[in-house]
Amino acid sequence: MNSSILHTKKLCKTFSNSGTQQHVIKNLDLEIYKGDFTVIMGSSGSGKTTLLYALSGMDKPTLGKVYFGEEDISAYSNDELAVFRRNHCGFVFQSIHLLESMNVFDNVMTGALVLQKNSPELIRKVEELLIKVGITKEMWGKYPNQLSGGECQRVGIVRAVINDPQILFADEPTGSLNSASGRDVMDIFTQLHSNGQSIVMVTHDVRTAMRGNRVIFISDGAVVGEYKMPLYSKDDMTSRKDGLQNFLDRMGW
Amino acid sequence: MEKIIRLSLANIRKHKFEFVSLMILVMMCVLLIGSALSAVLGAFKIFPDAMKNTGSYENFISILKKDYDKEFENIMREHPLVEQISSARMLYGGIKTRYINKNGEQVTIPQSFITADNSAGLERPVIDTTLTDEEISKLEHWVYMPYVMYDSGKYRVGDTFEMICNTKRFSFTVAGFYETLFLGDMSNGIKMIVSDSDYHMLKDVIPEYVVLAYNDNQGQGGYDLFKELYDKFEEYSGKEIDKKSFYLLYSDMEYYISESAYLLLQIIVAMAIVIVLSVIVMIRFRIAGDIKEQVVNIGVLKALGYTSMEITVSYVLEYLLMAGLSVIIGMIGCFMLTPVLLRMCELIVEHRGCGSVSPLPIFLTGLGVLVLVGVIAFIRAIMVRKYLPVHAFRKGQGDHRFGREYFPLSKTKYSVHFRFALKEFVCNFKRNIGLMVCITISVVAVVFSFVVFNVFCNGLDAIYAITGIELSDLQVELEPSSDAGILAEELEQMPEVRKVLPTSAYNTIVVAITPDGNRGMLPLVFHDFDDTENVFPIDGRFPKHDNEIMLTKYDAKWDDIVVGDSIILEHTGVKKTYIVSGVTTAMAGGIFYITYDGIKRLVPDYRFDKVNIYLEDGVDVNDFRYLIEEKYSDNFYGSEKEKNGDFAITDIVDMKEIMSTQLVSTVFAVRVGVSIFMTLSAVVVMIILFILMESSVRQRRKEFAIMKGLGYTSHQLMFQLACCIVPSVIISVVIGTLISFAVIELIIDYYGKVNIDISGVIVLDIVILIFCFLCAFTGTRKIRKISVCELMTE
Ligand SMILES: Nc1ncnc2c1ncn2[C@@H]1O[C@H](COP(=O)(O)OP(=O)(O)O)[C@@H](O)[C@H]1O
Ligand SMILES: [Mg+2]
Repeated sequence: MNSSILHTKKLCKTFSNSGTQQHVIKNLDLEIYKGDFTVIMGSSGSGKTTLLYALSGMDKPTLGKVYFGEEDISAYSNDELAVFRRNHCGFVFQSIHLLESMNVFDNVMTGALVLQKNSPELIRKVEELLIKVGITKEMWGKYPNQLSGGECQRVGIVRAVINDPQILFADEPTGSLNSASGRDVMDIFTQLHSNGQSIVMVTHDVRTAMRGNRVIFISDGAVVGEYKMPLYSKDDMTSRKDGLQNFLDRMGW
Repeated sequence: MEKIIRLSLANIRKHKFEFVSLMILVMMCVLLIGSALSAVLGAFKIFPDAMKNTGSYENFISILKKDYDKEFENIMREHPLVEQISSARMLYGGIKTRYINKNGEQVTIPQSFITADNSAGLERPVIDTTLTDEEISKLEHWVYMPYVMYDSGKYRVGDTFEMICNTKRFSFTVAGFYETLFLGDMSNGIKMIVSDSDYHMLKDVIPEYVVLAYNDNQGQGGYDLFKELYDKFEEYSGKEIDKKSFYLLYSDMEYYISESAYLLLQIIVAMAIVIVLSVIVMIRFRIAGDIKEQVVNIGVLKALGYTSMEITVSYVLEYLLMAGLSVIIGMIGCFMLTPVLLRMCELIVEHRGCGSVSPLPIFLTGLGVLVLVGVIAFIRAIMVRKYLPVHAFRKGQGDHRFGREYFPLSKTKYSVHFRFALKEFVCNFKRNIGLMVCITISVVAVVFSFVVFNVFCNGLDAIYAITGIELSDLQVELEPSSDAGILAEELEQMPEVRKVLPTSAYNTIVVAITPDGNRGMLPLVFHDFDDTENVFPIDGRFPKHDNEIMLTKYDAKWDDIVVGDSIILEHTGVKKTYIVSGVTTAMAGGIFYITYDGIKRLVPDYRFDKVNIYLEDGVDVNDFRYLIEEKYSDNFYGSEKEKNGDFAITDIVDMKEIMSTQLVSTVFAVRVGVSIFMTLSAVVVMIILFILMESSVRQRRKEFAIMKGLGYTSHQLMFQLACCIVPSVIISVVIGTLISFAVIELIIDYYGKVNIDISGVIVLDIVILIFCFLCAFTGTRKIRKISVCELMTE
């Protein structure tokens, strides 16, 4: 068993919409382990994204605590959270969210420079990573609206991992992509994971979820089930798929 | 730091157009304020500099030689406040001297002639000439003129200067120019240095004066000192000194010079304020819009770990970069514009004396604007602090349609486009307030300029109409003892003459007894005011009976008198009560209007001493002037006939022409000011609307793509968006017009009435509205580039 990197204690998140309160996350206890590819699943509106935001310090919980290692990040101020995110987290979004005003290369640099000083090594690292995910040199000067969704998402992943984060958070990273592009993107995730990257990913796509080694199922704001899989490999696809599908069926998917 | 600079630069690159627009605004701001401040400092130095450069005395009392006594100088010398005295002789022709200007027209301007030796008694004239002494000595009749004749009169060395005094003409060659404070401008008159022999020749036709010059430590003694000295002169000589004596005091010169220069500079400063306000509103709006439209980007940056402060700083930096660039360009512009402004000031005050451009106010302005922009940007940008990244993602694009639903489309009656426009207007209320403030200020500026322009620049009739004095084609002034009746009858017989009206030449002073104290007033007398052509009651009616008078608005306000009140007038101990029958306009106070019968009650031996002549259409004023100058050449002041008790003509005057000569520099200043004002207002409004529309298009790009998908054409959408500003513009135009009317009303309240060309203003307002709409429409042109395909991801 790997060591715990992130855990929550009685995490609650409540939204109040024009008077009525909606308890989206209710007393949720969850532990995320180092080196795991944790997948969070659940039906639409079950609070997956809300949970991910709370885990990653993008939002503050209404009640309860989130610990990063021994530190209680739920007590942090906005700026302390920003520092926490830049030091420890990487993000990949469903709608990608590249900065429209910058070209591909600068988008990655924006992520890099928040933590690191500019240096030839850094530039080289960005170049290497971009090439590794299949973004060729010709594309570096292009702007996000000149690229396909899959290409954008690959740039988004590079931006997320450029600072070697301890955890990579991803919210439906393939949600807006077609299946071929989605597969390419997930191959990158798999590769990152096999290199030891801890990943927390939200998805409701079974094929995407199969990439993980631990699936958490939440329903109505609480963890209702957990399923463990061996590390991903292309060989045991069928048994892997059946196992996961079986688990999901039990959860009422 | 580098990461922040990168963010700023990326932002700038993305909004090049707005960046440049804002730059222009900030630049104009620095340019106007900087050069206006620098020019104000310079303008205030015109007078002291001219004083120093010319080594001039501070005060001058000119007394007809016949009234002068050597003892006067001792009287002055003995006064403790008088520091230094000197005296000189000169010839002074007053308004009887004219000259032929470079266009061949006769221009009336008081002229005086002095020899070089005498001139040295008043100042140290520095002659600016291209001729050598030898060349000058070869000239038969040479003259040195004040610089104003170079600047406004367009004379150059070697030109011929032709002066006219009554019927006599004299021709001089211009040999050089010099700066002088005493009689060196068009309003007080010009003093020319001539040779001793020419001086003696002119002495036969122009009266000689003795000028007593004295210093009183930069005007310390003021008018009181002058009055004291003057009274002592009269006391000593035991008789009244002739009214033709005149004086020029330090304080008057200083006031006149700084006041005129102020006029232009005030206009520029007012304009700068308009621009500064616009810049503030625009920067606030731009940053707020930027943040709104970039919530997602800000969210992403925050998710990546950028702190609020870093993001804020990147915004501030963006604006500082913009402001810094524009401030530098603006400051360079200042160093070029200020000398031009100073030169204009010199032209307006008709004196030279500006030194170099003072750089301090320019630098301070640059710094001030920079700090201002930084502070506004910071205050506005710090609002990113409110956002957690999650807000950004959750809110995303759909930010601006929350809360109550105004103008639901289901109730659309006429055009759906107007419906959208109204919706948009209400939803962006705050932004619209900013827009309205900017446009209102500009409208005030434009409408005000328009009215002023109409009064000053559409011919001078509008100004003549508010002078409050009767302006005929030609006025013949007589010695006080003469009877104008005889002359009037003779003139009326001439075929060129349409009408004559005998009147008063302001030789009688009447004292008005008012609650605030007694004041000297001059009567303007006619048999029947209905015959006059340039006096109009703005309240009540003309005096008809012998117990009625009319006052100027200026005096009526001063003394708090309304039509129907009565007022006591006194003349040499006789007091009579009169009823105020009406009020009229006038540029200044001090005159009242009364019938011949009315003044007779107070001054029993009153006689008309001036004749207003109205000529038939097509008769040339100057030709006619020659005619009567010839005809009455024996009746001029100092001639044989005068001594025989016949009437004596002192002056033949064309008041309109004199006024137009004196108004030239004012009209010039107003014209320049108004043109600058109008152009800048238009440019500012245009830039503001461009910025506004451009960012509206960007903020709602997705929305427009969807609308296009629904089948709206680019032009329909452009029309829709441009219509959004129409309600704001209409409101601003109405408010702006009303405010400018109020301002004008406030100003003219003291002068009487200015006929505001209401229909002209309405047309102007409509033009402004159309202009704004067109600017807005043009500003939305980027809608055309939005394509439906943008909606599709993958
Ligand atoms: N900012 C918010 N304000 C109010 N309600 C919200 C907000 N964010 C999410 N919710 C509500 O919380 C619930 C869970 O949302 P979310 O976490 O996005 O679900 P999931 O990602 O699992 O589909 C939804 O019902 C949604 O309406
Ligand atoms: Mg979600």
